[in-house]
Amino acid sequence: MGWLQFKAIVRKDLTRELRTRDMLVSMILFVLLAMVVFHYAFSVKEGVDLTYFTGGMLWAVFIFAMLLGLNRSFAQEKDERCLDGLLLCPVDRVVIFLAKTAGNLIFLLIIQAVAVPVFTLFFVSRSYVADLPLFLLVLLLADLGICALGTLLATISMNTRSRDLLLPILFLPLIVPVLIAVTAATTTIFATGTSLGSLATRLLFLLGFDLIFMVAAYGTYDFAIGE
Amino acid sequence: MKKVLSAPALFVGSGIFLVLGLLLAFWYSPVDASTMGYSQKILYFHAPIATAALLAFGVAFVAAVLFLRSQDPKWDRLGVVSVRVGLLFSVLVMATGMIWGKAAWGVWWAWEPRLTTFLLVCFLYAAYFVLRSVVEEEQRRATYAAVFAIIAFIDVPITYLSTRLLPEGLHPVVLGPGGGGMPGNMLVSFMISMFGMMLLLAALIRRDLGIEDLKERVADLKNSIGG
Repeated sequence: MGWLQFKAIVRKDLTRELRTRDMLVSMILFVLLAMVVFHYAFSVKEGVDLTYFTGGMLWAVFIFAMLLGLNRSFAQEKDERCLDGLLLCPVDRVVIFLAKTAGNLIFLLIIQAVAVPVFTLFFVSRSYVADLPLFLLVLLLADLGICALGTLLATISMNTRSRDLLLPILFLPLIVPVLIAVTAATTTIFATGTSLGSLATRLLFLLGFDLIFMVAAYGTYDFAIGE
Repeated sequence: MKKVLSAPALFVGSGIFLVLGLLLAFWYSPVDASTMGYSQKILYFHAPIATAALLAFGVAFVAAVLFLRSQDPKWDRLGVVSVRVGLLFSVLVMATGMIWGKAAWGVWWAWEPRLTTFLLVCFLYAAYFVLRSVVEEEQRRATYAAVFAIIAFIDVPITYLSTRLLPEGLHPVVLGPGGGGMPGNMLVSFMISMFGMMLLLAALIRRDLGIEDLKERVADLKNSIGG
């Protein structure tokens, strides 16, 4: 079902971004700057232990960065009327959704590839190499939910009058469940280390969230993107 | 039948049941034996209001699905009206919940699963109205609102589940698995209040629908005389 079209759209998004790099560079800088802000916001006194804030800080940063990225990913389409062209192509709307989600996921992963090592250097005192596979699994499951839901809502908000102002208001209350699960899981990994068994509930929850919203977006995207 | 289900009749019916429920709650049902005493009486309103709020959002969800299938504006009107009433009830849930929280736990606000869920529900459905206000075109506004109402309603149980992933839990689970259950003389008052609240919900939705229909007619008339 539209595998070629899927690849074409993803490649288009990646090529466009890699030629200018304005979105990626700003998002990476934003993420790094946010870490500095968090450090000073939380360091109420010398040598305070921030370990139990690490999960929260990391994911708050990613979610805010993603809001920037999601807005950009559709603003460009809209400004140059690329989206109209895309809609005129004989492509299933759902393929557009999946491709857009995949594109956003790739950007988020690129940012995380830079941000997570720096974050670890700044804030995590324990080595979590043993839990790295588990951490990556948590990361991927949370990213998927964030990107799927974010893409659907960004599609809606870019077609409205207030555009990027609207997205956070729609997106943040819906993403809180992911934030709760992923923050707890990440903090546990950073602070004490853990096993697959003890994270199972949270992982299953994230997986369930991803699946449910993929299906919901699949069912409603036709309407969200408009004719 | 039509007369019985008219808004005034429903208002009168709900008034009778709510007052009866209140009287029974104080003079028939037992006073709470634990530390809560009379403050526990708020249960007879708090829980029915919460149920009514969720039911209203359920109605909005069904209306949204029906709208997307038929594109008939009457379902959009039902959707707006249900969300509006649901939001009103959600704010009341928070208010009564906070009053009860102060009496039972000694604090106005606790980050407790159900209270937190309703806080997020309030944000979610407030966003629904923000979304509506920034789309001018009628058909598009209705479509986006429907998509968002569907996503939001799916998110409510997920949010509740996610808040349960956190360790603490202050809320008494009264009905359902693990609940303490209710003795007969509490249940009667509770169910009468519940029924009254459902009638009130129906009455409010009914009345608001009437108002929306009138608005529609005014708009049509204005158009027909060229104003």
